[in-house]
Amino acid sequence: MAESLMPLIVALLRWTDARARIDPLSGEVETDPRGAGPSEADRCALEHALRIAEAAGGRCAAVTLAPEPAEEMLRDALACGADAVLRVDVPSWDSRVPDSGATTARALAHAIRTELGEPSLVLTGDHSADRGTGSTPAFLAAELGCAQALGLVELSYADGELLALRRLDRGRRERLAVPLPAVCSVEPAGVRLRRAALPSTLAARRAEIPVVAGAVAAEPVTAHAARPFRPRAKELPPPPEADPRLRLLRLTGAHEHREPPRVVVTDDPAEAADELLEYLRGKGYL
Amino acid sequence: MRDRAGPASSAVTVAEPERPQFDAIVVGAGPAGSAAALELARAGNSVALLERGPFPGAKNVYGGVVYGRILDELIPGWYDEMPVQRWITRRQTMLLDGERSMTVDFRSQNWGRAPYNGATTYRAEFDDWLAGHAQKAGAVLVPSTVATRLLCTERGRVVGVRTDRPDGDLTAKVVIACDGVNSFLAKQAGLFPGDQAEHTTLGVKETLALPARTIDERFGVSGHEGVDIEMLGCTQGIPGGGFLYTNYDTLSVGLVLGLKGLAKAGKRPEEVLAELKRHPSIQPLVRGAELVEYSAHLIPEGGYDTMPQLVGDGLLVAGDAAAMCLAAGIWLEGVNFAMGSGMYAGRAASKALTSGDLGDLRAYRTLLESSFVLADHKKLRKAPELVLSERVQQRYPGLVCDLVEGMFTVENPRPKPGVRKLLRASAKRNGVKMRELARDALTGLRSFG
Repeated sequence: MAESLMPLIVALLRWTDARARIDPLSGEVETDPRGAGPSEADRCALEHALRIAEAAGGRCAAVTLAPEPAEEMLRDALACGADAVLRVDVPSWDSRVPDSGATTARALAHAIRTELGEPSLVLTGDHSADRGTGSTPAFLAAELGCAQALGLVELSYADGELLALRRLDRGRRERLAVPLPAVCSVEPAGVRLRRAALPSTLAARRAEIPVVAGAVAAEPVTAHAARPFRPRAKELPPPPEADPRLRLLRLTGAHEHREPPRVVVTDDPAEAADELLEYLRGKGYL
Repeated sequence: MRDRAGPASSAVTVAEPERPQFDAIVVGAGPAGSAAALELARAGNSVALLERGPFPGAKNVYGGVVYGRILDELIPGWYDEMPVQRWITRRQTMLLDGERSMTVDFRSQNWGRAPYNGATTYRAEFDDWLAGHAQKAGAVLVPSTVATRLLCTERGRVVGVRTDRPDGDLTAKVVIACDGVNSFLAKQAGLFPGDQAEHTTLGVKETLALPARTIDERFGVSGHEGVDIEMLGCTQGIPGGGFLYTNYDTLSVGLVLGLKGLAKAGKRPEEVLAELKRHPSIQPLVRGAELVEYSAHLIPEGGYDTMPQLVGDGLLVAGDAAAMCLAAGIWLEGVNFAMGSGMYAGRAASKALTSGDLGDLRAYRTLLESSFVLADHKKLRKAPELVLSERVQQRYPGLVCDLVEGMFTVENPRPKPGVRKLLRASAKRNGVKMRELARDALTGLRSFG
């Protein structure tokens, strides 16, 4: 942990309609702003942010890039205990940037820095519920020039240290000591957003929500052709074993001996590239 | 542990608050609650409007017609801004028996023009719109919050509500319970007499998607014109009825089933509904539609004689919580009665707050009696019993279909039978005595006349 004092913990909340309906004929996505809100993962991110801010004696701010109806979501964040909120404005639902996450991250990083200050920790859901790729947190880490730890299932702050647990394939977990400043994305697990008290809920109903213009240069997306995704069929013969248990073991790959993952920690990009190349050569890819 | 509303919950005794947080608390942001909050806020009172759903309209089940005349008083020019699916220009009453049906069909293009008569709407949109007016007038909407208990002084005066939020007590000079059918708040205040199950029905509804053009063609309408079909004889002997309403690109088709009759029949409501959708008169209307929603809700259909006391000490009850739904056969109305009762509750509460005398809350009942709300209910107090009676439910649809089939079946070379003879034969075939028929006709005439 680079510093024990954490002045600003930001929870990034994506305003999304988890029950969006897709027209089976046109492919058009029908959304309803009334039922929209943060995803479960974003709600967990807010709870983590509130807990870490309390533990570290810092400020917690909730930020979103969304149109005006999303202010209800920010009011809920205020009611739950966020010290500040910020809405980065986009005129409508559709005008949210359908990009790789880079443009969104740029707009958010700019708004956070100019309106709230340099963040010590930014927390967000691992990916949005609507077509999310989960790439925005990574782009945001690059924008802010800080560390990233993505797809976390546990996050705790104690004795000035931020510890995280990350889900890996095949049921394994990875423990991380996350240096600050950092961007962390969390899965919807482990914590549940607290229920706001009535007095703070009433206060939040009357609160002014700060809004800044979204400095987003949306890159227009043009679809030249659209066709259904039909991956080529791949033949997978069943395991030869007669015993169902053995077939199951074969299919799941349980109990197979595997080489444990080698964790490489290096700040030198050239060294990291060499490691990667060596690994690929060792596996016969190069 | 979170406090929850429920049949076992009871009022909490508290000390008289020195400074209540609000002038009034309205529980429930449905049509009654929002109308009450709007009246109170317009009069300059501070109002908290509690809503259990994440937004007004999130929790309701509705497939019906909103008759907007009361909105002329509440929101002048409402029809230019209200979220409407279709304006009802065609109204049908259908009697079903086996594979037969007899329909009375009325159309008026006047109903498709301002000032209009009634409209289908999605309540998620309608309730949000009405609550928005209350908010603009100054009411504070508190969503995702359930009022679990009444707060009462030792003398029994209601001074607020407890909610399911931490530090969730909220105090006010007046509480208006618009918490819907089976109101736990009205029950906690001891305003409900006895068992409500006898007078409560279960409404089940499917929302079926069809292209707007298909709906236009099947129902003989165009643009934003719509059709309202009320049905009798489609509930397999369970007291109740059916309905089909056109929205812009969906249909609401469903049933209203008496709770005790449904339990006694041992049938699932969705099975009864599936059977209705297979009827030769209904099947062509819903063919090929995509099911997008199935929902169910209780409906207070007992009418005037089953209403609770409407005024308590510091408490008013309005809307479905006060059993204001009018289920009188040819008239099936609820939202307009809810809005009317809510508006008058808000008006009476406002007057009491201005005078500082909570005894003025009694004016609520006077206002209701002098308006359509209780006048209609009082006049039609025998109608629900008649409509849900065994003869009307199980014998008259067959009698009418037999009679009409006899009239229009050509049996040459036999001469046409007289209507009186046909009526007697149909009545006998369906186990109806002419004396009973005359008595029911007289009751109907007294109720509806």
